[in-house]
Amino acid sequence: MEEVIRVQHVSKSYGNVQAVKDISLSVRKGEVFGIIGPNGAGKTTTIEMLEGIRKPDSGEVSVLGLTPHKQLRELNKRIGVQFQATAIQKKMKVKEAIDLFASFYPTTQKDHLIELLGLEEKMNVMFDDLSGGWKQRVTLALATLHKPEILFLDEPSMGLDPHARRELWGLISTLKEQGCTIVVTTHYMEEAEKLCDRVAMIYSGQLRALDTTQELLNQIPVHYLAFDTDELEYDFLISLPNVVSVEVENQSYKVLSEDQQTTAYYIFKYCYDNNILIKNFRFEKGSLDDLFVHFLEKEETA
Amino acid sequence: MTAMVKLASLETKMFFRDRLSVFWTFLFPIIMIWLFGSMFGDSNVSGLSFAEMFVPSWIGVNIVTISFFTLGTVLTGYRETGVLRRYQSTPIRSWMILAAHTFQGSVIFVISALLLMVFGMLMYDLTLPAYIGSTLLALLVSILAFFPFALFLTSLAKNTQAAAAISSLCLNLMLFLSGAAFPLEFMPTILQNVAKVLPLYYVVELLRGTWNIGPITDYGLEVGVLLGISVVSTALASRFFRWSGK
Repeated sequence: MEEVIRVQHVSKSYGNVQAVKDISLSVRKGEVFGIIGPNGAGKTTTIEMLEGIRKPDSGEVSVLGLTPHKQLRELNKRIGVQFQATAIQKKMKVKEAIDLFASFYPTTQKDHLIELLGLEEKMNVMFDDLSGGWKQRVTLALATLHKPEILFLDEPSMGLDPHARRELWGLISTLKEQGCTIVVTTHYMEEAEKLCDRVAMIYSGQLRALDTTQELLNQIPVHYLAFDTDELEYDFLISLPNVVSVEVENQSYKVLSEDQQTTAYYIFKYCYDNNILIKNFRFEKGSLDDLFVHFLEKEETA
Repeated sequence: MTAMVKLASLETKMFFRDRLSVFWTFLFPIIMIWLFGSMFGDSNVSGLSFAEMFVPSWIGVNIVTISFFTLGTVLTGYRETGVLRRYQSTPIRSWMILAAHTFQGSVIFVISALLLMVFGMLMYDLTLPAYIGSTLLALLVSILAFFPFALFLTSLAKNTQAAAAISSLCLNLMLFLSGAAFPLEFMPTILQNVAKVLPLYYVVELLRGTWNIGPITDYGLEVGVLLGISVVSTALASRFFRWSGK
């Protein structure tokens, strides 16, 4: 499949802080590619080097065959960018913003987007008077007016309520269907699971995993056992072999284990011997969220 | 080109949507002239009537207000809230943005200057400038000096509050010490010398002079100083232009 972004051994430091260390990855045409990791992991620095507004200290970046920081003007005609938490002028009306940004490009899909995003009813509202969800829609419209070949979204659902977030995902899927390649950073794992074809996990500036969402979940042993009881101790559970972590909330336990079957055996045996009742015992598949926590905990113990 | 025109006209429109800026830019100077006029309306300083003295100087003050607040502080706010950053990933270029804002500032300035002049003519028998071509040139030179000067100084600020603080400081210093609001003749010699360090002093001298006394060719020093400020601050402003605060 055709690669539209290629990153090879890229590093970037700010003073003494190394924000990105030797990252290599590639993005294929037409896919939704997620860059995930905790806050401060280097996601934004990575995406900004792809957008050409930061220059890598070493390594090579190629986007649509261009070197972003050197050929920024050419690149800007072909990409769309939704920055993290940026605004437009408070007193600018939606209609005016769309008109202004449309004048930056030779051709636009203005009318199509207004319809797709349902902006018609808000055209005369000033940006400052819009809710978070609507602001996000407007800036998304501004980033996609010119039918960009690649759309970069930096934490697009930050600060959105669950409903607005779901709507945003729907919009992103629609853009994908239209053939746009999308690179998105997020720290919401649910978002990555729902949206992305492939994800790159970044921790402290380093690439830790890169695969399809499905493969990541299958490969890495972060499945868990879930059950309810009021007589088991945290200390006992965490001491069992293969157990990675234990979460307790109102007598509901979530035991992450690298070997579910063996862990289950120990729990059942202990409960049988001590006459403890457990209810709703389930083998659950981990989510990206669990994988994320799993990595973080490994990081902390390392 | 269309992008630049659109941006300039939108920014002008948005200026008028903000009542506070409209008040400070258009009404405040008129109120000040009227206040001073009610106290010293009949006085005569170095052969000039009250209006001949103060209408040109408040027009000069308005150049300062507009450069620091309408241009500088607003652009710093745009930098802080990511408005400029959003432009950074579009084909529009930084000089187009600066040009659009400069145009917007000039339009607003022209309106405010006309208002002040008409007010002076109606209330205090002010006449049109004696050397009108010279006065227009003087205004152009003053704008060319002050717009980039203010853009550079406010771009040093991290956020709107800091930019507003810088702007207020500059405005107040120049307002009171450069002879714009109080005649320098009434001040001690040391303050008269301080005035000569402030750029507004040269604007005020130039505007008063070409309005009442002689053509712009008589004011080589003032024009030279202002052009110098213009060249240096344009270089600094474009050299240190930043899209984002980070």
